[in-house]
Amino acid sequence: MRLQAVSTALFTAVVLVGCGAPNGGPIKHDELERGVLSLGNAAGAGQLLTVGVIQDRTKTTFVRVSCRDLADEATHEAEKLQDAEADPDLRAAKAQAVILGSQIAAALGALQVAPKDPLIARDVGRRLDTLEHRATQLAAKL
Amino acid sequence: MRKLFQIALGIIAAIGGYLDIGDLVFNTQAGALYGYQLLWAIPVGLLGIMVFAEMSGRVAAIAKKANFELVAEQYGHRLGLLTLASSLLLTVLTLAAEIGGVGLALTLLFDGPEQTYMLLGAVVLLGVCWFLSFDHIERIFGYGGLTLFVFTAAALHFGPNWDSMAQGFVPESQSTTLYWYFALGLVAAAFMPYEIYFYSSGAREEGWTEKDLGVNRANAIVGYAVGGLLSVSLLVVAAEVFNPVGVDPDQLGTAMLGPQFAFGETGLIIALIGVLFAFGGAAVDTCFSAAYNLAQFQGWPWGKKAKNPTRWDISWVAFLAAGYVIVSTGVDPIELTEYAVVLSVVALPLTYLPILLIAGNGEVMGDHVNGLIAKTLGWAYFVLICVMTVAAPILLFATNGGGG
Repeated sequence: MRLQAVSTALFTAVVLVGCGAPNGGPIKHDELERGVLSLGNAAGAGQLLTVGVIQDRTKTTFVRVSCRDLADEATHEAEKLQDAEADPDLRAAKAQAVILGSQIAAALGALQVAPKDPLIARDVGRRLDTLEHRATQLAAKL
Repeated sequence: MRKLFQIALGIIAAIGGYLDIGDLVFNTQAGALYGYQLLWAIPVGLLGIMVFAEMSGRVAAIAKKANFELVAEQYGHRLGLLTLASSLLLTVLTLAAEIGGVGLALTLLFDGPEQTYMLLGAVVLLGVCWFLSFDHIERIFGYGGLTLFVFTAAALHFGPNWDSMAQGFVPESQSTTLYWYFALGLVAAAFMPYEIYFYSSGAREEGWTEKDLGVNRANAIVGYAVGGLLSVSLLVVAAEVFNPVGVDPDQLGTAMLGPQFAFGETGLIIALIGVLFAFGGAAVDTCFSAAYNLAQFQGWPWGKKAKNPTRWDISWVAFLAAGYVIVSTGVDPIELTEYAVVLSVVALPLTYLPILLIAGNGEVMGDHVNGLIAKTLGWAYFVLICVMTVAAPILLFATNGGGG
């Protein structure tokens, strides 16, 4: 009986962590930092995708689907950050992160539409490189 | 000659069937984040699964008992039920992740709605499980999974730093919880309980006897060892491709870029076909494992060769449907995998203890009882998995589910 109760409590606690049990209150520094790093990661992964398109060493459907997935990830992160409350000292950083997320999603969207075009891939690659650096710098300030 | 051929086929199927979505996720992320530093965790998990797979195959051949038949015998009703409930929950979560992985792989190959491909994948798996024999299922997915050796070819193509690799097999002292989370994840991914449920039940399905102990040893040791090479390859490729640029491959598509960088579109397609077969095979394994556990615990006829295994058939169909329903809610299969792998550790002690006890029981096993090496390794790993059971939820909390 005791073993069952302990197991149930442990499992429930773990599931709540996994579901991101709301802890209430405004977004914390480390949460915002994680969100920004996640955006930077999407930009970095997108850059790697552009390499294959530029070199014509990839598959069109693969690029399109991957861009869509990464853009969705960036959009989702931006939406989460937009919806989160922030203390005054984090509001500016949060706003920058939301803009970054939208810009990353837009860049990936351009490649999603034209996954075979090396010129567009070069342009997207440059944009994502810049955005990734901005994300890294923003995360470092937090 | 025929026997050797059979053994070779079994080893090949074991190699190809070794990897699943949990191995892919943890090995690529570990390589991306830590380079070669976590290589040591792979042989730790590998040796553990070899020890328990060999033991469970031996128990199946000599005592004629599969894992959950032992659970039903060895534990009281409540503890047995707890073991069953936790194993079913974690196996079905893993099944859901594998079905999701199949859907993701098909989407990356052909584009289209992910949910449609997940449904298509589930329907194809249903057909495969229903119409094909156990041997055919094993061979198809095992041989198809061999295409994952494109990652090994890619790892060699990148010309890894062999000194750094060698150092990676020696554990370092590290203070970050995220490092230990991935170390635990790598060991747990190799040690998934459903692999033992499936292995021991498969041994009973194939009617192993004392004559098959050589096959058992070959499959468990050689098969898993070469399969473990795939895990090392995944980590090395990630260390070479993602670690230098600081990218965490948290999408399946990103994880496939290694073979693409090495071999272009051909490498990419081969890798995607490989993961399709690996995840599909793992989906079949988890689906059958859940049904084996339930049927064995309840004392129902089970297996494809049993007479009138109606309740077993209904069970695996129901579990397959449950897995599909879970992943159709839109949960990310990659994230689901991470939780399934880490949480499965909690079920490990109750899963492995009956095998250890019976394999060490001279009255049951006769001349084939655990020798000194098997006994020492078996109990050492049992202590390790008990430690992991305590550490897993702590690391999951402390790292925010692996997010850092």
